[in-house]
Amino acid sequence: MSPFVTRRIVNGIAFAFATAATAFGLIWLVWILWTTVSFGMSALNLSLLTQMTPPPGTSGGLANALYGSAVMVLLAVVIGAPVGVAAGTYLAEHGRYSRLASVVSFLNDVLLSAPSIVIGLFVYELVVRPAGHFSGFAGALALAMILLPIVVRTTDEALRLVPDQMREAAFALGIPRWKITLQILYKAALTAIVTGVLLGIARISGETAPLLFTALNNQFWSADVSQPLANVPVVIFQYAMSPYDEWHALAWAGALILTAFVLGLNLVVRLIVRRGRK
Amino acid sequence: MQQAPDHTLKAFDDDLDRLRGLISQMGGLAEHAIGEAMRCLVDRDVEGAERVVAEDRKLDALEAETERRAVQLIALRAPMAGDLRDVVAALKISGVVERIGDYGKNIAKRVPLLESVGKIEPISLLAEMARIATQMVHDVLDAFVARDADAAVRVCQRDSAVDDFYDSIFRTLLTHMMENPHTIGQSAHLLFVAKNVERVGDHATNIAEMVYYAATGEHMTDRQKV
Amino acid sequence: MMNETASPLQIVPNAEPVTSGRTQVAIRDLDFFYGKSRALKSVNLDVPANAVTAVIGPSGCGKSTLLRTINRIYEIYPDQRAEGEILIDGRNVLDRRYALSDVRRKVGMVFQKPTPFASSIRNNVAFALSYYEKLSKTEIADRVEDALRQAALWDEVKDKLNASALSLSGGQQQRLCIARTIAVRPEILLLDEATSALDPISTAKIEELIHELRERFTIVIVTHNMQQAARVSQRTAFFHLGELVEFDKTSRIFTNPAQDRTRDYITGRYG
Repeated sequence: MSPFVTRRIVNGIAFAFATAATAFGLIWLVWILWTTVSFGMSALNLSLLTQMTPPPGTSGGLANALYGSAVMVLLAVVIGAPVGVAAGTYLAEHGRYSRLASVVSFLNDVLLSAPSIVIGLFVYELVVRPAGHFSGFAGALALAMILLPIVVRTTDEALRLVPDQMREAAFALGIPRWKITLQILYKAALTAIVTGVLLGIARISGETAPLLFTALNNQFWSADVSQPLANVPVVIFQYAMSPYDEWHALAWAGALILTAFVLGLNLVVRLIVRRGRK
Repeated sequence: MQQAPDHTLKAFDDDLDRLRGLISQMGGLAEHAIGEAMRCLVDRDVEGAERVVAEDRKLDALEAETERRAVQLIALRAPMAGDLRDVVAALKISGVVERIGDYGKNIAKRVPLLESVGKIEPISLLAEMARIATQMVHDVLDAFVARDADAAVRVCQRDSAVDDFYDSIFRTLLTHMMENPHTIGQSAHLLFVAKNVERVGDHATNIAEMVYYAATGEHMTDRQKV
Repeated sequence: MMNETASPLQIVPNAEPVTSGRTQVAIRDLDFFYGKSRALKSVNLDVPANAVTAVIGPSGCGKSTLLRTINRIYEIYPDQRAEGEILIDGRNVLDRRYALSDVRRKVGMVFQKPTPFASSIRNNVAFALSYYEKLSKTEIADRVEDALRQAALWDEVKDKLNASALSLSGGQQQRLCIARTIAVRPEILLLDEATSALDPISTAKIEELIHELRERFTIVIVTHNMQQAARVSQRTAFFHLGELVEFDKTSRIFTNPAQDRTRDYITGRYG
């Protein structure tokens, strides 16, 4: 058999394997999505947005949970994103030759892969215990600590992608360093930085474990951040493990909403990147 | 300056060598033309002279080839410094050598016209003069191939010998013409032959100046030319 | 110099006025170090004013390093340092006391890769202006137009000053970078292989631009293209392994160089 034919056969076999592996991975994904959609769809109705989480046996909605999640995520972004961008900028711009910077970078990577439950416990010890009660603020803090290393890493990489020659060109014009960073580098890396923040949001909106120790949950409507705050992941957790059918339905609905939200964010990121490329 | 190493592009060296080879070839043909024409003059060989006239065509063709190659070299290789001076010198020298070949042809053309004459004394002087001149051409072209500026200067200095020969032959022929008026025709031809040979010597000097500039980048001072 | 009253038959030797004769940048005993290794060794060079000086040499000979020393751009990197003097109009710019922004205002630099800022064309050119001078809106607009005209880009962009600079072609972007640099009115322009990344037509346009700019600026170009150095410059400096080997009129360097190393490099006998 000529080497050309052998190569064709080998190529075909390898291609078949690759396709099978992809299919294998996709099957589970599709299955999960399908399950979520089919179970969640039936529970989707307007009352989700208007009614509070109900006591067992009655029907209700997810209004307070959705609100609580939104507030905590927003707060987490307000706390975590600026710090993350600033730290990422430090690592990329000033830290290239410094020992301290490599240590910080390493610690950041550790934090990035830290189990979220550990972070939850940390905030519990730090904020919840001294305060004596759970609070939405503690939840936001925990989420911020999960968001932070993501934003640091993506900002650092986004800024490193800006070519050195651009920095040198700006320096050669005599422009001071802070102005270069703020007005030229950020503009050049904006797409990437924003993408990083959005992906971080997608990640933290679904985090459950840390919220268990910090914000817990609240059956009733509450806008008070200093008290336990309702949120979607914990609601799903509690309702799914319960024996009540109405609660199951609400849990599926919450799961569907969460999945749709994350999917939507990823699509937005895609759009931004594609527009940035033009 | 030290001898230059080879070009990184071997083809460049090949092109330059080929150009120098063409000049050498032309030089050989021109020397042969003069030498053979003189021999035919002394031996009254009319057929030989006709061959010399015919072969001048080869020299013309070589000059055209040299010009073509030189222009190509400049366009394709963008030679600098010494290489550029070499190429320009090759161009100029080819024209001068072709002219020297033409002198050979002119001498050969006169051979049939002198057939009937008896032996005229100055002819042996002429032959010797021609020998010196062709030797000058030979040496100066060697100097070009070797990029030897000193050899070129030495060639220049031999031109005075050729000029002296010419003066002597001129006087002898003049005397001869005055004493033997019926030989005026042939003597006149011999005068022209002598002039041609003297011009060959001058041209060799011109070539020497071109070789000197190509090799050093400076022009020969008047002192060196004497 | 040309004698105006000479009769037509009089031979005037080498009458081309090559440079004005004034030295704008005097480099004295310059050493440059990347960490422990010495990249430039005791360089002494007088750059003439209002002329184009080309710096040529094989890779790693120190030509880009020389350029980057003149405007102290190397100071961004902590392990690079320079010793010696670079006198611009008599003052040593390597002296710590000479403010960086003053140096970079006098000395502009254009790099190999065009680096337009992610902003509008107008903004690119005006960006550094507002840092150095307090100008009104009309004054800024005038300076922008002036710079773009000098960079031979005005006609091509005058109708789209608000468009993104990234929408321009490579050659246009590079001319934009030149406009941006000359907008702050420096005295000296450093071009570090500024046309190496461009196509031949853009390169030719920029070479013509350099020729026009030389009336107002002192220009130093680094190029690995010898033909470009020959076309564009009046003086050429040949560097080899960090040393200045030969510095002379461009016409002389390329027809009859004095040093063997120069001769070997320009005739393609290097290595």
